[in-house]
Amino acid sequence: MGRARLRAPLVVAVGAALVVAACGGATQTAKGPSGPISVGVIAPFTGSAAEFGKLLSAPCDVATRLINQAGGVLGHTFRCVPIDDTGDPADAVPNVTKALATTPNLDIVSGLESNTAATTVPLVNAAKIPFITTNGLVSFNKTTDKYFWRMTPADNANGVAFAIWAIHKGYRRAAIVFENNIGSEGNLPGVLAAMPKLGGTITDNVTIPADAVSYSSVVERVIATNPQVLIFSADPQTSATFLTEYKQLNNGVLPPIVTATDSLTPDFFNAVTKAVGTQYVTQDIYLVGSYFSTSGPAYTAYKDAMYADPRTHAIASVITAVGPPASDYDGINVFALAMLEANSISGAVYNAYIPRVVAGGAHAVVVHTFAQGKKELMAGHSIRYVGVIGPVTFNRYHNSAGEFAANMFSADGSAHRVGIISSQEVSQLLG
Amino acid sequence: MHLLINAIGFGIASGAVIALGAVGFSVQFGISNVLNITYGALMTLAAYIGLALVDRGLSAWAALPVAAVVVGVVSVVFRRAVLEPLVQRGTRPFALVIVTVAAGIVLQYMIVAVAGPDSQSYGPQSGPTLHPVGMALTAGQIAIILLAAALMLALHLLLTRTQLGRAMRATASNRILARSCGIATERVSDVAWFCSGLLCGAAGVALAITVVSFDFTLGPVFLIPMIAAAVLGGIGQPYGAMLGGLVVGIASEVAGAYWSPGYKDVIAFVILIVMLLVRPRGLFGAVWSARRLLS
Repeated sequence: MGRARLRAPLVVAVGAALVVAACGGATQTAKGPSGPISVGVIAPFTGSAAEFGKLLSAPCDVATRLINQAGGVLGHTFRCVPIDDTGDPADAVPNVTKALATTPNLDIVSGLESNTAATTVPLVNAAKIPFITTNGLVSFNKTTDKYFWRMTPADNANGVAFAIWAIHKGYRRAAIVFENNIGSEGNLPGVLAAMPKLGGTITDNVTIPADAVSYSSVVERVIATNPQVLIFSADPQTSATFLTEYKQLNNGVLPPIVTATDSLTPDFFNAVTKAVGTQYVTQDIYLVGSYFSTSGPAYTAYKDAMYADPRTHAIASVITAVGPPASDYDGINVFALAMLEANSISGAVYNAYIPRVVAGGAHAVVVHTFAQGKKELMAGHSIRYVGVIGPVTFNRYHNSAGEFAANMFSADGSAHRVGIISSQEVSQLLG
Repeated sequence: MHLLINAIGFGIASGAVIALGAVGFSVQFGISNVLNITYGALMTLAAYIGLALVDRGLSAWAALPVAAVVVGVVSVVFRRAVLEPLVQRGTRPFALVIVTVAAGIVLQYMIVAVAGPDSQSYGPQSGPTLHPVGMALTAGQIAIILLAAALMLALHLLLTRTQLGRAMRATASNRILARSCGIATERVSDVAWFCSGLLCGAAGVALAITVVSFDFTLGPVFLIPMIAAAVLGGIGQPYGAMLGGLVVGIASEVAGAYWSPGYKDVIAFVILIVMLLVRPRGLFGAVWSARRLLS
């Protein structure tokens, strides 16, 4: 009893101390006037999708380095803060919540990929931090989230691009094989809508679980429909198992596959190459995703920086071939320039300046890098940022989707472009 | 009909791998009454030991017994160093499960620290496709089925035809009584954990061969259908686990062929829940209990 009495004030005291500490922490950390600006990268850094985290942190590493080289923003340098969403929506919530509450000067967020975006986007938006997201969820096509900005196409548009490319290559009979995750299945409505309109036939449409012991019965079922091409999306292990069994059960013959540029990773390349051979991987896998020009000053600066940075050098050949990382890089530059335009690092203030940076005015100077943009802004000029992914036009829902490109693997695991699909054609088929 | 026969064939192939793991898991539980969740990570360890040997020029099939023996030894060490001291201190079964979960995570991330998080592969090991009894199975799948059958037979002979096997069954049935009858239950438990670790290791390498590409999540992902098979057969009952593995494997593949493949794993759990409602002690639970009473 006496102990209980003694404990009660102790609990109150400890609680009060914690509250005071928490409040003190909040005033010190949130939007503090000094110290570097933190750019949060919400991505899986552990677990089976950890490879994806590398791809999404690389643009932040490069963009912040170039921003710092150009003198930073309003006296602040930039730094990247990895926020591990583990690729799991449930695990992502506590990790992101904690990071939002404890990371000093967290004024920009990037990453936010499809698997966890449904739970992480509302958290970041509620924290009033502008964020550039690579997620493809269709549910964000008409979002009213004020701090949401997306410069890559939604998954249903990607699905349409898959169908267009399959038909373009002369494959009219396609089987759809998607892993049952939110990113893969988001492509499905687009493929289903576009394929018949293009005169193609969907021979089978199957959803497969990840990491099963065997897919033989599914493979047998798909083979029975005699497809000319597989429109396919799955993680590296699942892809390797499925394609190996397809080849075995189809007398050594594998049809070409059309898949998303999400698979343009060393992990996918290595896993599938070991399973079905380099020849198939380099000659029969088409990776379709958002397009950007691989020439011009913005791309050159981006590519050079990727190769120059020891943190990103190893994956530079892959990363400089796909759109989503480039959109993160551009997004961080745009947000940093918006801070300069707004003369504030507060998300609530500079968020309104983001469209201005990409749209410019009648007499805006076109800039391709942060350094150029900063120089022009300091000289009192208005600017229009045209970055790696080209001109950006945000609609009222803060979405901007460009054109699409088809890529193929080279023998060293890097990628090269083999075709372009216009955004106009995709829009028409989406209806 | 062709699709059904093939689905059954694929189910037997998957079921063989599941059964290998499930039997080892069941033996371990039967002898020590510990639900050892570390088992999944030990399977992963076996796969990576196999990989290290394959990278040094050994074939995956030759690496399998080596990895199995190593994991057998690791299992015994794990029991002796971690679980047994906790059991001696009277730690509750639930706490023991949590310890095995924690140990599994630690082992999993030790594997990541050494081998990295990326996908690994032994390369294609499947060989040509053969058509036994109208089924399309690769030589690799047939080899795994035969391996599983051989190990099951060996276990059956060990349990029923040897003094050690009888001691294992006695220990599983009533440890205190077995000890009072002069059975060295600690040594018997070590042998049982070695045997279950051996099966765990064999299942880990067989799984890595089957799925072609794997990473550090290999075992834990596989643990769920394996536990389903063990519970289905009556946990602690090796023969039940064998049958449970086949039922889960075949049901999953048939469901994949005729229903939505996305839900092929779900079918295992539906069967499991129905079985627990109808026969709470599993397929073999009641049979074995009756035998124990009679013997």
